[in-house]
Amino acid sequence: MPFFRVIRWVAWKDLVSEIRSRETISSMFFFALIVILVFSFSFSMDQEAARELIAGIIWVAFAFTGIIGLGKSFAAELQNDCLEHLQISPAPKGAVYLGKLAANLLFMLVVEVILFPMFVIFFNLDVVEELPLLLLIFALATLGLSTVGTLFSAMTVHIRAREVMLPILLLPLAVPVMIAAVEATRGALNGLPLSLYGNWLQLLAVFDVVFTVLSFWAFEWIIDS
Amino acid sequence: MISAMIKWMQRYEGWVGGGAAACLIVGLYLGLVASPPDYYQGEVVRIMYVHVPLAQTAMLAYSVLFGGSLWYLWKRDPVVDNMCHAAAGLSAFFTAGALITGSIWAKPTWNTWWTWDARLVSFAVMFLILAGYLMLRTFVDDPEREARYAAVLAIIGFADLPIVHFSVEWWRTLHQPLSISMRGVSMSGEILRPLIIMGIGFSAIFAYMLMVRTQMLYLRRLLIAKKGRLLSQAHLSTAGSGSPSGT
Repeated sequence: MPFFRVIRWVAWKDLVSEIRSRETISSMFFFALIVILVFSFSFSMDQEAARELIAGIIWVAFAFTGIIGLGKSFAAELQNDCLEHLQISPAPKGAVYLGKLAANLLFMLVVEVILFPMFVIFFNLDVVEELPLLLLIFALATLGLSTVGTLFSAMTVHIRAREVMLPILLLPLAVPVMIAAVEATRGALNGLPLSLYGNWLQLLAVFDVVFTVLSFWAFEWIIDS
Repeated sequence: MISAMIKWMQRYEGWVGGGAAACLIVGLYLGLVASPPDYYQGEVVRIMYVHVPLAQTAMLAYSVLFGGSLWYLWKRDPVVDNMCHAAAGLSAFFTAGALITGSIWAKPTWNTWWTWDARLVSFAVMFLILAGYLMLRTFVDDPEREARYAAVLAIIGFADLPIVHFSVEWWRTLHQPLSISMRGVSMSGEILRPLIIMGIGFSAIFAYMLMVRTQMLYLRRLLIAKKGRLLSQAHLSTAGSGSPSGT
């Protein structure tokens, strides 16, 4: 089966089942709303403090909701032994990985795009000019989270205590992504010139490339059994 | 049949352990007694002779883990997996030691237990990755799968560490220049000599512990396999005609 067709079919399959059940995206969305709520109670923020803190709050909310979506990605394949069929199918394993990655990336981005206006409303942000740049930052950082996240989702699906192990494995590795995403988002939200935080976008791009290649290679060892 | 690697370890572990003990005794004497106190830091500087070797050995142990993980994925030798498991535990142990001694050293010299410096954060992240690695191993039921997953995690984590170090360095230098840095310390021979001897001693004691621990994990695996065989035999003989037939 041609490589790219497999990617498309795997992603499309996840998309269709999500459109029919709406389980993943709705649970991610409501969890994120709760995170926003908890943060707004935890810090009493005026306009000035909000500008400093908001980038961190956005990325904590995005990372935590991302973990919820990633955890469901392969756990859903356990039903009707779908995972075993993916394993024994002659389709190239790397293409299966890229298909799952595309679906996860899409789900996370959809949730982020729905959530971001909530941040704008609740924390009174002024974002109109920087919107394309913010979307680019979101896309790069979310790809970084979901490359390793998709691999670890496949890894933790067979083990005990998988809901705990996914964040324990993923978050330490995602430290560079979180730092870069928060710094770039803060720069964009405060209207700084791109030259001051453009290097964080480069770091995100490097992380994305390195870990897409590594996870693509490693997926064969994870899924094969 | 005992694996050739385990036999090799059994033959040489005594020499390595003895060498480690000798280096550590000489190094501790030179470091704690013979070397002069630091001009600025006074006697406090002597913790360096433990802290720096601990940190180096932690990185050495992770490198062994990385190399072993690649080797395992290539050859699928269960003994190599036992060695990786041992190296990960030791690396976590030495990393924790480096973080603790570093904190103790930082308090009198930098006047803080902790600072978000690139090296400190990299070591903290390394410790968390290794802790995740060891936890992952306890949660996988199938030994072959456990070895495979662990090897992949070790390799991915190894690739991450330079990026972590780099990003934290950038993060801090963009915000504020580090007021405290360990760079630019030029050393005289009196300080350097015990440091090198302690470094060799810690590497040797790591090698010794790695050999002992690998053998332990290897024997445990053999024992579990044997127990499984005996249990299934017992099960077969009782589930059969009911007559005792196991000889």
